[in-house]
Amino acid sequence: MRELELYFGPQHLGMVGNFSITLKVEGDRILEAAANPGYLHRGFEKLMEYRTWIQNFPLVCRVNVIEPDHIEMIYAMAVEKLAQIEVPERAHFVRSIYLELARVGSHLFGLWAYANMLGFDTVAQWAMYHRDLVLDLFEELTGGRVYHIYIWPGGVRRDFPPGFTDRIVHTLHSIGGCVPDYNSTFFDNRLFYERAKGIGQLTQQQAKEWGATGQTLRATGMKYDIRKVEPYAAYDKVDWEVPTRKDGDAYSRILVIRDEMIESVHMIFKLLDAMPEGPVYTRMPNPFKWKVPKGEAYVRCESSRGELGLYLVSNGGDKPYRVHFRTPSYPHGLIVLEKLLRNASIADVGNIMISLYVVAPEIDR
Amino acid sequence: MSKSIKEALESTFRDVQVSFREDNRMAVTAENESVLPILRFLKDAGFDHLSLISVVDWIEDNLFELCYFLTPYMQNDDEYTDRQKLHIILKTPLPRDEPRFKTVIGLFPNAEPYEREIHEFFGIDFEGHPRLTPLLLERDYEVPPFRKDFDTRKYVAELLDSVPPIETKKK
Repeated sequence: MRELELYFGPQHLGMVGNFSITLKVEGDRILEAAANPGYLHRGFEKLMEYRTWIQNFPLVCRVNVIEPDHIEMIYAMAVEKLAQIEVPERAHFVRSIYLELARVGSHLFGLWAYANMLGFDTVAQWAMYHRDLVLDLFEELTGGRVYHIYIWPGGVRRDFPPGFTDRIVHTLHSIGGCVPDYNSTFFDNRLFYERAKGIGQLTQQQAKEWGATGQTLRATGMKYDIRKVEPYAAYDKVDWEVPTRKDGDAYSRILVIRDEMIESVHMIFKLLDAMPEGPVYTRMPNPFKWKVPKGEAYVRCESSRGELGLYLVSNGGDKPYRVHFRTPSYPHGLIVLEKLLRNASIADVGNIMISLYVVAPEIDR
Repeated sequence: MSKSIKEALESTFRDVQVSFREDNRMAVTAENESVLPILRFLKDAGFDHLSLISVVDWIEDNLFELCYFLTPYMQNDDEYTDRQKLHIILKTPLPRDEPRFKTVIGLFPNAEPYEREIHEFFGIDFEGHPRLTPLLLERDYEVPPFRKDFDTRKYVAELLDSVPPIETKKK
């Protein structure tokens, strides 16, 4: 059969996001795949070298459009480490609750993309609606729906407004009450099983070799989660479990995402119960004259997609000297995806890509 | 744990400087030739997750600093140890004019896109890399754009001035 070159994305029905893959196909079988990112490259790491430490906050959150909160978190963590700023106890809890809300919102968005791609339009609409409820919480707390710029060096911008805790509980109850519906319509559905089982399978050894983290690694059985490995914020103050699966295929990855969402909701309830009273931020120096001491910091946290890292270098000035983000989608989209697509069929490209949870803005930065 | 790694590194390799910091980060500075052996040594010692390769352009010292970030994955599926918190940053200096280095893809296959990106942004050649083709950028640059001597203002002026103005049709 004749070999063809096929451009999959960025303008393609099966593609979510500004990403493209060049496929070499023979019939329906993929011989070779080359990821082709760069459609969303904005050069943030260079731009940040020209802006003051505080001015960078509106930039960093745009690195990952779907889930900006963890990026704010690592940037704040790195600046705190360099400038040796203490964070009050309550701020740690507020941050954790906020980040877990972001994780729930991001997973619901991921569920929308996956269900939509498989043709489960009803489930996709539900997920989008529930994500919107989470965004309503963010809007009340921070003023923004998508970009929040809430985490700050030394804490968070402001405390929870009166009655906000009750509204978190109410929203999470209404999302959690729909889990049986999600299960019967999607997760326990024979069609989903048939479509996702055995697709894009990788072993734990391969996952380690290709630098996978997050659900991609946890779906192969390893409980690798930065929140447990190197706890930050208030994650070591409450008990929670890391959900895993054994098979390493798309089916396992999506189920890990569902279990993680449920675990996050439980964790938020525990964090709300354990939250102490007190201030939520430390007073910061004048941002226009603020100079961060010379040094370097590497911080990492568990975003909803895997290990998120930041290498931040300061030369003692009022701007960062070098910024480099280690985003989880980078190895997932550029290495794991290319390897898993080999010998797959064209109909499974979107399936594998979305189950790996690849977001283009994170790769391009 | 970190002390034993430090001692093992210092006794096995010459010319390495190991400094350990409070926050579980260990900085190792080594000469160019010993980077690959050290990476192999660390991988065998359990640091099998290469999480990032980065470059810092120290223009005043006229050198690039190539940094490899290593951390261990879990040995068992569900056991958390203090060792997993340790993060090793292996650094090596490179000259700013005609910088070149050997690829580490043979050891860590996930180094491929990182090296490709560094080649594109900083102009560092990696010998033995199978495809050093452009990854994220679409134009050619005289100076690789993430170097400190890249003139952003001049670039923007040249780029935007060269865009032809939109002509309105005369009726």
